[in-house]
Amino acid sequence: MQSSAKKTRLHLGANSLNPKGLYWIWFMIPALAFYVVFMAYPMLESLRLSFFTGNYGNRVFVGFSNFIKLFSDSDHSERFFNAFKNTAIFFAVHMLVQNVLGIVFAVLLTNTHMRGRKIYQTIIFVPTTFAVLVTGYLWKLLLSPVWSKPFLTGMGLGALAKPWLGMESTALLFVSLVSCWQWIGIPTMMFVAALRNISEDIYEAAYIDGATGWQVFWGIKLPLLKPIIGMITILTFVNNFNAFDIVFAMENVNGAPGYSTDLIGTLFYRLGIAGQHPIGIPDPGMGAAVSTLIFIMLAIVSILILRRTETKG
Amino acid sequence: MKNRMLIVLLVVLLAVTPLLGACQQSALKPEQPEKAETPEKPAEPEKPQKEKVELTMGSWRADDVAQMNNLIAAYKAVAPDVNITFQPTNPPDYNATLRLQLDSDTGPDLMYARSYATGQELFNAGFFADCTDIPGLMDNFTASNLAPWQMPDGKMFAVPFAAVSHAVYYNKDIFAAQGLSVPATWDEFIEVCQTLKDNGITPLANGVADEWDILECFFLGMLPNYVGGADQRVLYEKGDKKLNDENFVNAYTDIAEVAPFLPDGFEAVTYNDSQVLFNTQAAAMFMDGSWTLGVYADADFDWGVFAIPARSAADTAVTFHPDMAITMNTKTAHPEEAKAFLAWLCTKEGATTASENLPVGFFPMINFEIQLEDVHANEFLALNLGKQTDARFVWPALMDLYSPMNQAVIGVLKGTMTPQQAADSVAALLP
Repeated sequence: MQSSAKKTRLHLGANSLNPKGLYWIWFMIPALAFYVVFMAYPMLESLRLSFFTGNYGNRVFVGFSNFIKLFSDSDHSERFFNAFKNTAIFFAVHMLVQNVLGIVFAVLLTNTHMRGRKIYQTIIFVPTTFAVLVTGYLWKLLLSPVWSKPFLTGMGLGALAKPWLGMESTALLFVSLVSCWQWIGIPTMMFVAALRNISEDIYEAAYIDGATGWQVFWGIKLPLLKPIIGMITILTFVNNFNAFDIVFAMENVNGAPGYSTDLIGTLFYRLGIAGQHPIGIPDPGMGAAVSTLIFIMLAIVSILILRRTETKG
Repeated sequence: MKNRMLIVLLVVLLAVTPLLGACQQSALKPEQPEKAETPEKPAEPEKPQKEKVELTMGSWRADDVAQMNNLIAAYKAVAPDVNITFQPTNPPDYNATLRLQLDSDTGPDLMYARSYATGQELFNAGFFADCTDIPGLMDNFTASNLAPWQMPDGKMFAVPFAAVSHAVYYNKDIFAAQGLSVPATWDEFIEVCQTLKDNGITPLANGVADEWDILECFFLGMLPNYVGGADQRVLYEKGDKKLNDENFVNAYTDIAEVAPFLPDGFEAVTYNDSQVLFNTQAAAMFMDGSWTLGVYADADFDWGVFAIPARSAADTAVTFHPDMAITMNTKTAHPEEAKAFLAWLCTKEGATTASENLPVGFFPMINFEIQLEDVHANEFLALNLGKQTDARFVWPALMDLYSPMNQAVIGVLKGTMTPQQAADSVAALLP
């Protein structure tokens, strides 16, 4: 008995002279416990839930039928693929507008010759600090012809007073752009930080060799930003495929008009949490099935992006 | 390499966990401090003789805190030892919030019950108590007022509390200035709209951005004019009549006729926008529910309501919809006290007090003669006189058609569907 206790002490004991010991486990346990209870357990519980149907009290195991229904039942599959398509468009707009502009702004903000950099930096970052519900609501008013028409007509821009958020053809684009407007500060800041990390010597060497600004951007800045681009792509991807709040604030949980802004997040909310208005009977199992599918997809795509953009060590 | 993959995997797992976590996190919501504080525990063991009972009441009527607190204060005179706390939720979130509270055993003792399928489901799940034997319930309400909260086998799962009505609000000042009178037929209604439009006034404030209001207030409000009352509705539910028959096509045709009279860019006009447009006199009429009567109480213009008129050959009918009922939680710690409150609502005294404290635009459903004080509320209620009334068409049995019908109505208004296509799209969903 005594010897085994001694042995344990030897391994886990706070013996600072024994760097090979496992004393660091004690430092990890609080965070690990927190992670297991609040992240890992609920996640596994959701995975389990996706094999059930019905609500608390009369929950029935149904195997894979939620998943089968999601793909084969015409009502469900139409909504699911529509939401998937919309989310993909939502993501594409963010990549093209938010992240490309993010790089552009970052390059401008790290240009040492520009005046008032701090001011621009603040302006670009400020929307990020607003609540999504607030920005969503403000833009909803700004984009509504009822409220913006007198103002726009006064500027001779009356033709711009259209129900942008009420037409199937434009609603998703405008919701995406508002989201880009709000979050552009994040990639910009990350790119700024990354650009500042690039050694001045490299630029100097390039300019001495006669490189133009454009060549420096394509040949030096962009390749060195690659790992950050990978991280930002993953962050954008994960955030966009989990997006819900901006549509909730600007349209409604049905993804009005005509489901054209219905994202996976809003579909998940209707299926799994709130139920379809006005009946409002949720099917948590079906909601969990949607989130499980998205989880698998996010995991696979994120690994692919990471592996592609990782710099070989 | 192996290590690197492991790290990559861990990073990815960390990054995507919040999505799946969302499902469970929301289940924790009801345990937020405000909801969890059901402060009954401490007093109990010390004073077994005169214990104060604390009950909570859940509701979707966040606007009615003052009125409900008056009602609860009045109940104190009847049961001095019972204290009820009114805890309303944002209306669109009520079903979801209540569901989560009930699932996690943190539900209120008393709560508002939705009618028909939504309520029945919560009764079947064992959350709503069986109210059938509450004294007075079965005697003091008509069968049609009991029906929305009745199980197919006749059991009651809530005490009917209030109904809402639907009509056209109109700005009397604008009508007088334009020399217009209240239209008696649909054609006259369209003429009124045309005159207003010709004179540069937006005739109707309604929009379609929020979706629910154009269906619930406008289309389902006018539908009894085309299909008739409850006796006719049942024929559609049984399949004897088709949802794309002449009546329905006429209804879609007529609502499509209204599109040019809605505000410019009505595609993006929300329910709140509509209210503001009517309240600021930017629009002359608004097809809306009685529940917003109070919103225009301080309007600086004279206004009234009229029932949306039927075609000249048909009788005008009114959508008078059973809306609120109160029930009790099967898991309440104080079943006796909760039940006593429900029984009080079934007495003449209780119903009168309740009606006096009902928010303007909600009408009592009990059989006793109850006089309302608000002029406009009485005006609204008077629209029922001599007319057929019915619940909103899809509520009793065809709730699955709500969303398709909503899209069909928006489709004809936007011109993306013909009335026939709209009717067919909904009818195709019934066997």
